[in-house]
Amino acid sequence: MTPAASRRSVLSGLLAVTATAGLSTMIPAPAQAQDARGILKAAFDNWRASSSHAVLEMTIKRASSTRRMTLESWTQGEDRALVRFTAPARDAGNATLQLKNSTYVFNPKLNQVIKLPASAMMQSWMGSDFSYEDLSRSEKVVDDYTHKLIGTKTIGGKKVHVIESVPKPKVPVVWGKQVLSVRSDGVLHSIEYYDQLGKRVRIMTADKISILGGRPYPTVMTMKTDAKPGQYTRVTTKSAEFNISVPSYLFTRSNLENPRD
Amino acid sequence: MIGALAWRNIWRQPIRTSLSMVGMAFTSMLLVFMLSFQFGSYDTMKSSMLKISDGYGQFQAEGYKDDPEISKVIPNADALIADLKNVPGITASSARTNGFVLLANGERSFAAAIVGIDPEHETKISTLSSLVKQGRALTPEDSGAIVLGDGLARNLRLKLGDPVTMLGSGMDGSVAADVLTLVGIFKSNVPEIDRQIAQMPLERFKESFLMEDAVNIVAVTGDKLYDVERVEPQLRKIAAKHSVVFLNWAELQPAVKQAIAFDLSTAMLMYITLVVVVVFIILNTLYMSVLERTREFGVLLAVGMKPGQIGRMVWMEMVFLSFVGNGIGVALGIALTAYFESVGIAFEGLDEIYAQWGLPSRFYPDMTPFRVLAGPGAIVASIAVLGVIPYRRALGLEPVSAMAA
Repeated sequence: MTPAASRRSVLSGLLAVTATAGLSTMIPAPAQAQDARGILKAAFDNWRASSSHAVLEMTIKRASSTRRMTLESWTQGEDRALVRFTAPARDAGNATLQLKNSTYVFNPKLNQVIKLPASAMMQSWMGSDFSYEDLSRSEKVVDDYTHKLIGTKTIGGKKVHVIESVPKPKVPVVWGKQVLSVRSDGVLHSIEYYDQLGKRVRIMTADKISILGGRPYPTVMTMKTDAKPGQYTRVTTKSAEFNISVPSYLFTRSNLENPRD
Repeated sequence: MIGALAWRNIWRQPIRTSLSMVGMAFTSMLLVFMLSFQFGSYDTMKSSMLKISDGYGQFQAEGYKDDPEISKVIPNADALIADLKNVPGITASSARTNGFVLLANGERSFAAAIVGIDPEHETKISTLSSLVKQGRALTPEDSGAIVLGDGLARNLRLKLGDPVTMLGSGMDGSVAADVLTLVGIFKSNVPEIDRQIAQMPLERFKESFLMEDAVNIVAVTGDKLYDVERVEPQLRKIAAKHSVVFLNWAELQPAVKQAIAFDLSTAMLMYITLVVVVVFIILNTLYMSVLERTREFGVLLAVGMKPGQIGRMVWMEMVFLSFVGNGIGVALGIALTAYFESVGIAFEGLDEIYAQWGLPSRFYPDMTPFRVLAGPGAIVASIAVLGVIPYRRALGLEPVSAMAA
């Protein structure tokens, strides 16, 4: 695996979902005395596939309302992802395309593609608790952070490694620190995000780990912002196929604007 | 009787009295001018900052200020505005909506804060529409129109008449999108405003962002900031009635309030020093004169005046002296201040720095009874209080030994 291969953000990890059963048997179980970086790399590798097609449901809970949306995602390689919303009618047709370091959004009402400026990357994605930054692959936690195993605990009968990741000097990142919990079988259990002052800002947890594609996979994940109790965004993976052949034209601006399917 | 004696006594030494008076008059004049100028400048700072867009006060949903989410709304702005019509001193109120959006022109896109405004009422509150340098401000007839800050328009490479694509989140979190036509470009010279702010008609905003009847802000104004400050308790009551909060100018612009408080505290030190020095110099002169007149007081006691009467006479001499001196000072101060009120005072070379804060380059003093009377009043009051010292000196006199002095 190239270092770039481990550059995968949380949500694109979710979208890309995991490797196939075939691939999974090739990934050895993490060794006992594995270093923190190795554990993380294995966890992110487990999330990865050379390509994927998945159907997800996103639930956005707010004080006064709850929105449920369905979306379809395709990924290819490390730097191509397309997300298209399919329901409800109000949101259907909106799409986000991730192409290398650029993010494009399509809105059916405008019938126009807009390239996101860097200054907008921290804005909420479709009104959820995720930002475009989460969606993009710029959160290169494995390579841009230094990792330290700070403990192990047992959750639901499974051993969980707790890893503290601090950004390397001079790397432009949003977070001051991340604390990641990874089950010993390589499934990411939670990620806590801290600001530069060491205050926790938000937490993403795996609420349900099911067998998907023949391997344990976090099929329900929830993102909560500490400052906004009672609000969350939950992403449920309904179905997924991995390492399938995805046509390259999917990840183009013209396809974003005029879907061929 | 004692008053007449005291009045005649202070003119027994016309030169000394005149010198004391001139000293006090000069100090008072300075205090009148400086306080009027300083507070006048603060008023200018506050009102020019607030007039650009905030207004002299705002109603908002609770928590909106710290976390301005579009979903934190005033549900029924019309009822709130109707209640404000009965508040004396409030001359205008206007509803606004705020959204954080992407504005795009083809490949170029920038994040911006878009404000939905009611053009009819907004012009009475915000000066932005008068700062439109190209094209025109929004009018009540506009629908799909947008006005951009000069920096934003330049960044997007837009010119008048161009379509502007807007993409943001509606009140329920779903995508809000619209295409508007650029009708005007304003330039406030405040970089943050010119680079980030866009305005569109309130009704169109509400449709695009699915706001229904809700708005985010109701801004209010009055003829002077003070007019709004005075009715603040009433405004807070109205806010409570509608389950929203009222923010006064200091809550809207806490940095300005802090800057003023800091500036004022250093200035106050100077004013207090000035008053203390003058008071003690005058007091010293008067006390010396009382000491010189021990013999005279002995005679007065011998002819039947009571020590208390002498004490009061001495005290009244001091009070008369300070009244006349400060009276002249107030008159001169008012004249001087009035002159500068008409011509203003410019700080050459600082224009650009001030412009970044939305401030004019010329400042004007502004007199109020407090600003005119605070300084001279402090001098008169201090002398009246400290006049107890010579008064007590007179009480302790005894005729025979005093006459022998």
